[in-house]
Amino acid sequence: MQLTAEQAARYQEFKAFANDHIEPFAAEWDRDQQLSDGMIAALAERGYLGCILPQECGGKGWDTVTHGLLVEALGRASSSAALFLTVQTMVTTTLLKWGTADQKSKWLRPLATGKMLGAFAITEPGAGSATGSLTTEFTRGSGDQLILNGTKKWISCAQTAGVFLVFGKLQQQPLACLVPKEASGLKIEPIADLIGFRAGGLAEVHFNNVKIPAADVIGKPGFALSHVAPVGLHYGRICTACSGLGLSRACFEESISYASTRRIGDTTVGENGMIRSLIARMGTDLEAGTLLCRDACRAADEHSPEAFEKALMAKYFTSTAAVKAASDAVQIRGASGVHGSAAVSRYYRDAKILEIIEGTTQIHEQLLGKMFVNQANRLRS
Amino acid sequence: MSADQNAKVKQALRQFILNSVNVSDLKDDDNLFESGIVNSLFAVQLLTFIEKTFRIEVGVDDLAIDNFKSLNAATDFVLRQNGLLG
Repeated sequence: MQLTAEQAARYQEFKAFANDHIEPFAAEWDRDQQLSDGMIAALAERGYLGCILPQECGGKGWDTVTHGLLVEALGRASSSAALFLTVQTMVTTTLLKWGTADQKSKWLRPLATGKMLGAFAITEPGAGSATGSLTTEFTRGSGDQLILNGTKKWISCAQTAGVFLVFGKLQQQPLACLVPKEASGLKIEPIADLIGFRAGGLAEVHFNNVKIPAADVIGKPGFALSHVAPVGLHYGRICTACSGLGLSRACFEESISYASTRRIGDTTVGENGMIRSLIARMGTDLEAGTLLCRDACRAADEHSPEAFEKALMAKYFTSTAAVKAASDAVQIRGASGVHGSAAVSRYYRDAKILEIIEGTTQIHEQLLGKMFVNQANRLRS
Repeated sequence: MSADQNAKVKQALRQFILNSVNVSDLKDDDNLFESGIVNSLFAVQLLTFIEKTFRIEVGVDDLAIDNFKSLNAATDFVLRQNGLLG
């Protein structure tokens, strides 16, 4: 799929931004397990955090393809940096679809402009893939108020979030609501020492009798997991797919640069057939991943029902390809690849996380396998 | 309400559902969500299909299981949104 001239120009803009504002600092952020406030401010200042939202909401009204190019460029430089845009998009797109006029008016502009950061709080210590097993509980309080109790874990960007989109159950009916960071009874416990995405600001979030005004409920009871969450999760998959594509691109560029210059005797590493084999697969996977990501983004822009399975395929492919690419990138570099000073060592650690977030590889295989088998009817008709 | 419009809407929805699930026959009142034949993404895929095909915006106020639970329910919802169902 060809990019339009505008999309191509923006892609160059995004790569330049990442080269100047992210790549020089990515290793430091990884080591310190924290992005700089300046980086987040730079994303906000350029309107990147709300770029996919309509202009009337404070966004830039960019299409999903352009948004995907931005995530890819960020992901090429730092998976943690891309994660912030991913999570912001998950929260804002959910709110854009299911928020009331008042909710959009109150929350979307600060999120779009980056004045506020969001976090998508669905995973729990006992519920990762099995969202139906959520134990975070809403109960009725006084008037139409709800009371929230429970714990969320592995919540990306929770350390810096100003608002949480929280999923739980009200009398066994799935429910979603917005909870500001300042809410009484909300406690954030940072999670450190992940092997990858180390500057992703993950935290455990505890809710202890947090009062939720009815006005902060998103959607309706019973529909949080079937209709509300899937909107954000869909964009989460697209973003993670594009972020993984960026990581693979970084591995590829690093590998071909090294292979073409590193000498072994009177030849270069790149003239070795076994190295060429690794790079051939890496490069071809990169092309395939690019096509899948562009197609998934385009389908989202066309509001196509097939967009959901295309996002699954893109995420499944690029995350598993990124793990392979990063492993091979380290292998190609030999000993220098396993030292912390080598960027590929960070790619290797970050890549593994891609196979777990936004739906594990196994969950993707389960969903895609079922979808493909169910398409047998199309062959019969 | 035109019987022809009803039939066209129903047929389009039937085709979409049959392309998404592995069943050989679909009765108009089969409960799609309680039967276990759909996956976790089906609800939002159906919503997207309805929005795109029939140019309807499904909003918060439309979130009711009775609007989407069966082929008949989804057909009535579409016709109602388009002002074709009394």
